[in-house]
Amino acid sequence: MALVRLDAWLGEFGAPRETEAQASDVEGLLMDLESRYPRLRYRLRDEAGAVRRFVRIFVDGRDILQSEGLRTPLGAHAVVDILHSIAGG
Amino acid sequence: MKRAPVRIFLGTRKGTYVVEENAGNRRRWKVGPLSHPGSDVFHVVPDPRHPGTVYANVNSGFWGPMVLRSRNWGRTWSEVATPLLPRRKDRKPDFGEGTDSPSLPLTNLWHLEPGSPKEPRTLFLGVDPHALFRSDDEGQSWSPVGGINDHPTRSQWTPGFGGPCLHTILIDPDDARRMFVGLSAAGMFRTEDGGEHWTPVNRHVATPYLPQKFPEVGQCVHHVVADAGRRDLFYRQDHGGIYVSRDGMDSWVRIKKGLPDDFGFAVASPAASPGRAYFVPLNSRTRLTMSGGFQVMEWSEERRSWRPLMGPQTFPGDFGIHREGLACDSLDPPGIYAGTTTGQLFLSPDAGKSWQQVPYQFPGIHSVTVSSPRGS
Repeated sequence: MALVRLDAWLGEFGAPRETEAQASDVEGLLMDLESRYPRLRYRLRDEAGAVRRFVRIFVDGRDILQSEGLRTPLGAHAVVDILHSIAGG
Repeated sequence: MKRAPVRIFLGTRKGTYVVEENAGNRRRWKVGPLSHPGSDVFHVVPDPRHPGTVYANVNSGFWGPMVLRSRNWGRTWSEVATPLLPRRKDRKPDFGEGTDSPSLPLTNLWHLEPGSPKEPRTLFLGVDPHALFRSDDEGQSWSPVGGINDHPTRSQWTPGFGGPCLHTILIDPDDARRMFVGLSAAGMFRTEDGGEHWTPVNRHVATPYLPQKFPEVGQCVHHVVADAGRRDLFYRQDHGGIYVSRDGMDSWVRIKKGLPDDFGFAVASPAASPGRAYFVPLNSRTRLTMSGGFQVMEWSEERRSWRPLMGPQTFPGDFGIHREGLACDSLDPPGIYAGTTTGQLFLSPDAGKSWQQVPYQFPGIHSVTVSSPRGS
């Protein structure tokens, strides 16, 4: 089971700060989260399925953009952080 | 008889505000707390068919666009459905995305328009990229309006500086099947059959940024409002100048004479005083007000002439204003409300005779709408 730590701002969409998820890659993990917390749907990803520009996802501390993106595999004890990026002003 | 308070709804760069009249004379105002903190809110609109119901088009830089609804004049909000663009395989023309993309995501929600009183659960929503959606269940679900979204001229549409957006929606009060929409930079379109077929209605509107002087489409319309007294009278602020149509948008007449520049974004027309429209002309190069101060110009259809509603030093400075930044209430005399891109809210409770500024510095204002009862 992967440990998922979610951005505190996502609480407004009903997401917990921390949860566990069973998935073999990041896309599967997001689908699992979106199914358990429906208001997260289209908030982390747009309707085309792409991760939104200012959402950052890290697997075991590594940005998935520097790995295999949504296909990034998850180990049995992976730690996944979903955060908003530094942007705005 | 005591009337309900006037409420001003502001969509700003950092969230939504509701400003409520305090003493029933449109001179004292109470600013409510910030809602949707941190998000760009392009349009906040009360639904006159359901007093207390308000919609907000919230475009979060992090979490994307979403439609929110309040049932208590903006004190609390909950999310309704956000429309989705149809999958690429399900639609006819290309929306401009790469061929390997299954769908182009919706970027920003622009204008939400409550439908006719005869269709009390109907809403219309204009978005970026260029598209119109319709809901018949108060925003629980949305359907794309294919007649305009798949229009044969679509390949000639281009984005304005604000993106490829559908930003103006007008519904004929006598016939809900007759509607008008404005898109940048495509121009105005009219339907007479509830949205199945749309005709470009941009005759005589100049396009100084295109090789053709008066093309059928391609106009960068900024905003259009209808006159409350004459069904076929409309006022148009276009990139190419200020225009009036007296024939249901079959043709347009430029009314620049008497103005130093007729560029601008905002236009409003008061329900209680037909035959008048208010504009905030801007310098076409700087996109700022001219002559060192804010100014609202009144167009009179009866006199066919302009007059300024402010002294030159009423609000000194250089100001910008967005397309939805000017609004009127429905009282007599009409109140006029102007929100600037730098967060000032100027208002007149008496059709421009006197002016005041709400003593609160807002974030940059995208949109101003007003809810008020009819009467005096």
